[in-house]
Amino acid sequence: MNTQEDTGAYLEVQNLVKYFGNDRAVDDISFAVPKGAFLTLLGPSGCGKTTTLMSVAGLHSIDGGRIRVGDVVYTSPSEGLFLPPEKRDIGMVFQSYAIWPHMTVAKNVSYPLEIRKVNQSEIDDRVNEVLALVGLTAETDKLATNLSGGQQQRASLARAIVAKPRLLLFDEPLSNLDLKLREQMRVELKRIQNEVGITAIYVTHDQSEALVMSDEIIVMSKGKIEQRGGPLEIYSRPVNEYVSNFIGVANLLKAKVRDTNGSGQGVVEVSQDGQTMTVPCQMGPGIGAGDDAVLSVRPENVHAVRESNGGNIVEGEVTNAIFLGNYVDCRVKWGSFEWKVIAHPRTRLKAGEKVFLEFDPEHTLAVQP
Amino acid sequence: MTAETYSSKAVDRSRLHNRLRAMVTQENLITIVVALIVAGAVLVPLMVLFVSSFKVLDPSGWDTTWGFGNYVTMFTDRIIPKAFVNTLIISSGSTILATLLGVSLAWINARTNCPGRSYLEPYNLIPFFLSPFVGAIAWHNLGEPQTGLLNNLARAVFGIEGAIINIDNIWGVIWVTGIFFAPLVYLFVVGSLRRMDPSLEDSARTTGAGLIRTTMTVTLPLVMPGILSGAIIVFVTSAGEFGVPFKLSAPYGWETLTTQIFSKAVGDDANHYMGAAMSMALGVITVFLIWVQQRYIAPRSFTTVTGKGFRPNVLDLGPWRWVAFGYNIFFILVAVVLPIVCLIIVSLHPVWTGKIVVADMTTINYVKTLMWWHPEAISAATNGIGNSLILAFGGASISMVLALVISYMIHRTKGFGVRMLDFLSMVPIGFPGIVLAMGVLVTYIQTPIYATLWILMLAYITRFFPYGQRNISSIMLAISEELDQSSRMAGASWFTTLRRITIPLLKPGLFAGWILLFIIFLRELSISIILFTTGTETLSVGVYYLTNFENEPLTSALSMAQTVMLLIAIYAFRRLAGREALTA
Ligand SMILES: Nc1ncnc2c1ncn2[C@@H]1O[C@H](COP(=O)(O)OP(=O)(O)OP(=O)(O)O)[C@@H](O)[C@H]1O
Ligand SMILES: [Mg+2]
Repeated sequence: MNTQEDTGAYLEVQNLVKYFGNDRAVDDISFAVPKGAFLTLLGPSGCGKTTTLMSVAGLHSIDGGRIRVGDVVYTSPSEGLFLPPEKRDIGMVFQSYAIWPHMTVAKNVSYPLEIRKVNQSEIDDRVNEVLALVGLTAETDKLATNLSGGQQQRASLARAIVAKPRLLLFDEPLSNLDLKLREQMRVELKRIQNEVGITAIYVTHDQSEALVMSDEIIVMSKGKIEQRGGPLEIYSRPVNEYVSNFIGVANLLKAKVRDTNGSGQGVVEVSQDGQTMTVPCQMGPGIGAGDDAVLSVRPENVHAVRESNGGNIVEGEVTNAIFLGNYVDCRVKWGSFEWKVIAHPRTRLKAGEKVFLEFDPEHTLAVQP
Repeated sequence: MTAETYSSKAVDRSRLHNRLRAMVTQENLITIVVALIVAGAVLVPLMVLFVSSFKVLDPSGWDTTWGFGNYVTMFTDRIIPKAFVNTLIISSGSTILATLLGVSLAWINARTNCPGRSYLEPYNLIPFFLSPFVGAIAWHNLGEPQTGLLNNLARAVFGIEGAIINIDNIWGVIWVTGIFFAPLVYLFVVGSLRRMDPSLEDSARTTGAGLIRTTMTVTLPLVMPGILSGAIIVFVTSAGEFGVPFKLSAPYGWETLTTQIFSKAVGDDANHYMGAAMSMALGVITVFLIWVQQRYIAPRSFTTVTGKGFRPNVLDLGPWRWVAFGYNIFFILVAVVLPIVCLIIVSLHPVWTGKIVVADMTTINYVKTLMWWHPEAISAATNGIGNSLILAFGGASISMVLALVISYMIHRTKGFGVRMLDFLSMVPIGFPGIVLAMGVLVTYIQTPIYATLWILMLAYITRFFPYGQRNISSIMLAISEELDQSSRMAGASWFTTLRRITIPLLKPGLFAGWILLFIIFLRELSISIILFTTGTETLSVGVYYLTNFENEPLTSALSMAQTVMLLIAIYAFRRLAGREALTA
């Protein structure tokens, strides 16, 4: 109880380590999630997301660290503790849905309640309630194999939440659905999680999914955490080149920090093919004067203008301008570097034109390489 | 020549001519010829068997009349109704035992972290290839009340009186049949267990179900179609099994249908028409069961395999994995190690009294059964080895050629009579060997091929080519037809394509199928026992002869020789076919 109050965290993972053979699939990961929050583990294939999730679920043993939910310690090898998965009171939604093909939808969903020896009338009520919540009332008595992919996913979600578990775990639940359904299910998953109020961990490699659904995102690579934060923070204040690159699109240039003012602003110098520019910008954490850094500017934060106002400016040539209705997607050549620029349609930029690029110091970042 | 010079009749005639020419292709000709041969081989004996079963032999034993007399006798006879019941008990018991063993072993090997499971698997499958008849002989020597090795050991070590086990009864038959057919169920189940999406089990665990509950409510129900298929096949195979009840129960008063059919085929009590009627009865039951399995159970298997996100992980049994390990070792011990060790020990004694006497040990039994040039050689045994090798080499080769041609036609041509071929190559699977052999016996007894090896070869091939055919068909389905078609596009004829493209692609499957049939033929008993005559004994018939007319040490020696030959073939099979060949 103490620890929970100390950190305010409901789920706490400390220094989690998991080996497969000699490979460290998860390498000393720690995070905490407040009750009812929606945390996403985001990262490329093979970075250890599933392994982390399975460790929380207890589907495999871990080699180091401690996992606690509420006042129950799930796993702690150093204390010799390992709670088997069935004792952890969790709900899990798998990428392959894992709907049991030899049972009806209702049977699939009532299974966790039967295990918990809930009486039959309550089972019926709860199953109906949950199936209504996920919109499967009409499919109750169908065999699970006769459902469409999206319906199977809903059934799987219903099964995961029906027993009101402590934790809800998702392992890329939407990646087998087509794009339209995926976008619709995102919103719905989030709505349902909100309504039931269960703490959730969600694993995905799809950044837009992560940005839309999460209260908090953890960006992982090679078994380590690169950055954690809210969606807006991750997007607008990436801490390093890896995160800038992985989340959204960014113009990334090697830079050298000239000067910092100690309160988060500074000036960096970018050299490209003999041209040099100095750019005032926000300084990311952990970099100081004289350090190597990477300048990161989102395309929508680069302003292409025909007339220079002087100052913080790059002069280049538009090589490509694609009109996409509400914006124009441009490429501007500066030496051998090509800037990605999003321009307003009003600017009517054309390929071959000379333009000046301006950066707003508020939205220009120097991050760790 | 201009167009007007053709009359419309001439055009019609040339069209007809072209149509005929189009039909008389290499493909169609061969399809028809093969279909006719297969139809003759499969259907004629069964029809003659059917017809013969309505011939009633009069008491003098010379004349026959038509009627249902044989079928009536089956109910009124002193022995046959009991034999029916015994067959039912034995088949049910063996099925239950084989299913329990087969499913549990498959589960341990495919879904758990039982230590050393990849080393155990091949040994679990060995009984499938060995002769159950020889198993019965070995277990007789292990579990006979007076001379059984285990009983003697128990008396010597624990100082008890009497016997701890008695194998010579209907329960002994169930025991031996059950352990020998357990690998059949294993093979039906292990593939789908191994390929099962683990998240189906994981999700049960996360919803709160423990290991046992998950296995009972999720894992096993998912492979239930495989379990049922395996169980039915075991039931049918047990009902058609001759050697085990012949050795362990018939001499002690428990006749079965197969031992009764055998007594009607040869010997003093012979009555082929009665034998035909009993074969019909057995055949109808087995065909019905196989039909149910093929039609309703095989197609029901759940496809639970998912490509993406698939992690082949296994259940951690904790300390229980050692229990699983012990259980598996116990199975290998009773099914493989004990019988073979017992055969070796018994075969080294001049006479077997149930006691190991190292000082008396001799190789004379091997001399008498193997060395045909030796003056004391027993010709039934030495003939058997030669004949079985001829039958196994020849039969496996002819069967595979036939199987190849039939599979090709079924899967690659739209030729005439393809559906008929498909059906014909299913039929023999429904009939126990002994039933088909009765049919072959009554059909060919008046012809010159009777009392030659040819009749055995014919019966072997007819009964077992479907196994080769299924082996090839499954591979052929997996190989894209476009590979063939592009060869035809390139200008190769049908035959050239077969020779240059199809057969090379199928080579591994052909070899595996060939060795499988070689093994089956090398240990074949229930067809041979009906069709052999002096001079055409096979290996298993030699064993039968020795156990009936000679002594246990000689029997054990020849049994051991057969077992060694089979073990070599199994080794070759695994080398050539690889681990997945059988279990896929
Ligand atoms: N059962 C296993 N045995 C051995 N190595 C494994 C096993 N499971 C995962 N790994 C390895 O651990 C690393 C992390 O795998 P993990 O499944 O956690 O990745 P992931 O982030 O979920 O990737 P994806 O997005 O592809 O699902 C990978 O290098 C993988 O090869
Ligand atoms: Mg994963």
